[in-house]
Amino acid sequence: MGSSSDTIPTELSAAGATAPPAEAPLTARQSQKEATRRRVMDAARDLFESQGFQETTVREIARAAGVSVGSVFTTFASKYEILSQVMQDRLDGLYAELDRVIPHLRGSTADRLRTMFAVHFAFEVRHKRLFLSYISATYDWTRPASSTPMGRNRRLMGSIGECLAKGVAEGDVDPSLEPQEIIDLLMAAYVWTYRLAAWDDADADAMTEIMDRQIGLISQGFALRS
Amino acid sequence: MKHVSPLQAVENAPMKAPTRRALAKQQTRAKVLAAARRLFSEQGYEGATIRDIAAAAGMSTGAVFANFSDKSDLFREIMITDMAALADSMREASLRGANAEDSLLKIFMAGYTFYKTQLPLARAAFSVGWSPEDGPALRRAPPVHLLNELMAEALNKGVATGEIHEGADLELRAHMLFETYLSNYPQAIFESWSLEALEARSRDQIRILLAGARKA
Repeated sequence: MGSSSDTIPTELSAAGATAPPAEAPLTARQSQKEATRRRVMDAARDLFESQGFQETTVREIARAAGVSVGSVFTTFASKYEILSQVMQDRLDGLYAELDRVIPHLRGSTADRLRTMFAVHFAFEVRHKRLFLSYISATYDWTRPASSTPMGRNRRLMGSIGECLAKGVAEGDVDPSLEPQEIIDLLMAAYVWTYRLAAWDDADADAMTEIMDRQIGLISQGFALRS
Repeated sequence: MKHVSPLQAVENAPMKAPTRRALAKQQTRAKVLAAARRLFSEQGYEGATIRDIAAAAGMSTGAVFANFSDKSDLFREIMITDMAALADSMREASLRGANAEDSLLKIFMAGYTFYKTQLPLARAAFSVGWSPEDGPALRRAPPVHLLNELMAEALNKGVATGEIHEGADLELRAHMLFETYLSNYPQAIFESWSLEALEARSRDQIRILLAGARKA
């Protein structure tokens, strides 16, 4: 059951990825716009991480990027959209990394999941505040209705779904369980680990260790009893 | 035996008769809190300003600041009051549970039922709770700890009845149960899940999380 189970697992590989722009030469105006966009996102990412999303004003972002407030708003509809794009940009890099790793994963389903999450933590550890700000902002009223609530990240949920499907095929995951329920448990553990890490200033190894234990407990619940 | 939470213990402690001035202050606080609760529910945490809250309560921003140090203090007070009440109803629900699994499910459902009619406030609470700036203070508030503790108590009850292994990483399991309980709110908030849907999902989740802790 569950209205979200339709997100898995077919559209995963494509969902969430921004299609690469067609290879047409940019006009001077377009490349100017792209440069502004890049500078705004770089400045915003650093400010969100160092002083927090809510505390950062668009004026500060513009100043740090060396552009006018007006030109920020010709490129982005709102501060939330900047955050959303900054996260999307990071996630594209993360998933490119994950796509390289996944085909080489070996071992039990639990071990394969552990490696997948370890890749996430290694990638995101320096941006924990950004990550938490993003989750926080998804609950705020300022969030555009079209944006994806955090924790419903289709790429990650899709990769987990594929990993579990492989486990079913290989016989170490109970096929009678609803994959979405296991995915949701793993996602809850995953985001909780960020919060824990941000507050205790944990490093990627500490995050991976606590996640490994949580995956261990969850896998006891999805293991096929012989 | 009725459990007395630390908060109730403070409330029940004998007090000197309040002065007229103290009573007036109490009334002011109650007015601010009521207005703030309404505005946070309507506009979210970031959307509601102290100025709006003061106006809705019919007083100056100065009068609000005389009672609360800032907006996060005001919001935290609302949440602490609610969570203390919620902890009591969760505890009662847990006592009605036939076993550890059932107690946990009843704890989850007491929470979802409590917030069913005030999901916008729950949504604001998640926005604050996840914020790297205001989140830690809210999440470290004593009633949050109480909610967390209830999960551990239900597991310990299972140990006492021989249902659950003593050494089964119970502290981590209790944390995970609490986070799992929280993780279903987005479905309630954004996807309008019914209590029945939340119950079916929670039951399965609890089973998965308890599987490795059960005695064969």
